[in-house]
Amino acid sequence: MKRHLSIFTILNYIFLALVGFSMIYPFIYILAYSLNDGKDSMLGALYFLPRKLTLDNYAEVFENARIWQAYKITLARTLLGTLLHVGLSTLMAYALSKKSLPGRSFFAFYIFLPTIFSAGFIPFFITLQKLHLINTFWVYVIPMLFNFMHIVIIRTFLQGIPEELEESARIDGYGDFQIFMRIILPLSGPVLATISLFIGVAHWNDWFTGAYYVSDKSLIPVQTLLQEMLTQAEALSSSMQRSAQQGGQTISASAGGSTPESLRMALLVITVFPILCIYPFLQRYFVKGVMIGSVKG
Amino acid sequence: MRSSLLWKKIWQHKVFYFFLLPGLVWFFIFSYVPLFGVQVAFRDYTFSGGFTGSPWAGLKYFQQFFDYYKFEQILRNTIIISFMKLFIGFPMPILLAILLNEIRSIKFQKTVQTLSYLPHFVSWIVVVTLMQRLLSLHGGPVNELLIALGMEPVQFLYNTSWFYQVIVGSDIWKSIGWNSIIYMAAIAGIDQQLYEAAKIDGANRFRQIWHVTLPGVRNIAIILFILSIGSLMSAGYEQLLLLSGPATAGIGSVLDVHVIQSGISEGRLSYAAAVGLFQSVIGLVLILAVNRIARKVSDVSLF
Repeated sequence: MKRHLSIFTILNYIFLALVGFSMIYPFIYILAYSLNDGKDSMLGALYFLPRKLTLDNYAEVFENARIWQAYKITLARTLLGTLLHVGLSTLMAYALSKKSLPGRSFFAFYIFLPTIFSAGFIPFFITLQKLHLINTFWVYVIPMLFNFMHIVIIRTFLQGIPEELEESARIDGYGDFQIFMRIILPLSGPVLATISLFIGVAHWNDWFTGAYYVSDKSLIPVQTLLQEMLTQAEALSSSMQRSAQQGGQTISASAGGSTPESLRMALLVITVFPILCIYPFLQRYFVKGVMIGSVKG
Repeated sequence: MRSSLLWKKIWQHKVFYFFLLPGLVWFFIFSYVPLFGVQVAFRDYTFSGGFTGSPWAGLKYFQQFFDYYKFEQILRNTIIISFMKLFIGFPMPILLAILLNEIRSIKFQKTVQTLSYLPHFVSWIVVVTLMQRLLSLHGGPVNELLIALGMEPVQFLYNTSWFYQVIVGSDIWKSIGWNSIIYMAAIAGIDQQLYEAAKIDGANRFRQIWHVTLPGVRNIAIILFILSIGSLMSAGYEQLLLLSGPATAGIGSVLDVHVIQSGISEGRLSYAAAVGLFQSVIGLVLILAVNRIARKVSDVSLF
């Protein structure tokens, strides 16, 4: 009996260790690839550590004007989009958390209703067209300003703030807006961090808007740039790989250098790692956010 | 008298209405206007005519879609792919949560959990780029491992015989950790006395999982199942736009992708809107039906 259980425990540990490994390994691999000499990587047999350590790939990525431009667009839309989304959603959620507000349940229903039935891509696309948002920077920011679930999460959090705090501030002569700025916002750190992470990641990772609603090359974000590379990459890398294997001698003799694939991996690393460095620290908060979101939803 | 009281109350809250205003305007423009614009599916849409000024076309575009020679193929692919994702993918986060819960070392448990959230935070572009690299026939580590084990290298991507495995597998990889959060929370909420009682009754670990843990996550699982039925008609457009190429079109073309390609890429907006509306209506009918069944069978329902 006892023995039987411990076998289950051992298998469970092994299985979960493999699950964890499968989640992190692709990122370890691209990190190694991006830090390795591009031509050397094509010979394969690269698993955990770079063989010919170099920063050339990163140097070349940062020198590329198009990549810089795309990175700036991604940064700008993420910062601006997150700030506006969190600010405006918190204002709305705060108003909706007021039980005494006349019409409160109507407003709550008004923002809930569209979640039941979606109009689909095309009417939404036509709306963007009519608003002249297509092919502008604002198409990244404005359509993502609000999200029903985020408002619900913030409102649930705000309802947990004791009303006495507001009452005493009112006695001290604070107005509604001052109470919001000086009492509510400073107390909302955890929920604001959660929502910032959710919307920040959504902005950072959005490639669809850039691919389908924007044609101006200087407005393309990094994720859409990666998508453009996706289609070219496989053909390119396979032809270069073949020539590398056929001319193995000349490869080892040459000075080495970057390949489109090694540049792509370096770009991937600078796209992915900012998020991977942030999310573990916000884990405690977003787990709570997910729970509120799915219980209320 | 009463109405003046109400006005007084509204006046007292004037600042809060001001707080609400941007959101009310936004939801009107980006949710209600498109909903109103669904009528382009019944019109010959022209840019100058807009939602209301374009001439009526009746059911012409629906008919066009039903007559399209790939209609059955697209519908079948959508249903097959989303059913596979649902029946293989849905239980996985529950399994992960149960297995994690059986781990005694908190540190190990937390580490695996944190790692499992990781793929949720990267985009489908990144996932597909990673897959291209890792599964490559040309120096990809997975195929090198297969060769080292004495097996033939495999063309995983854009290959019909590996298509479903790749689609369902990458979907599970990306979402399993994130979707397990809610089940971990449900398991954490189970009364420990239930486990004690089960132990006293002589239940081993598997019996405890079966009789205590599983019933503990049952309600939340039913709710999430109903919600995922609602999206059965959409098989995941981001993933399929990227992972289905011309080689796999026969089994990989789905409704969402058809809407995006015929509408946004080819500019056949009324036709694409009709396809999209067809998809939304079936989704709504499905969710209402499953909700009804769930309420009868298990007393758990959304509304």
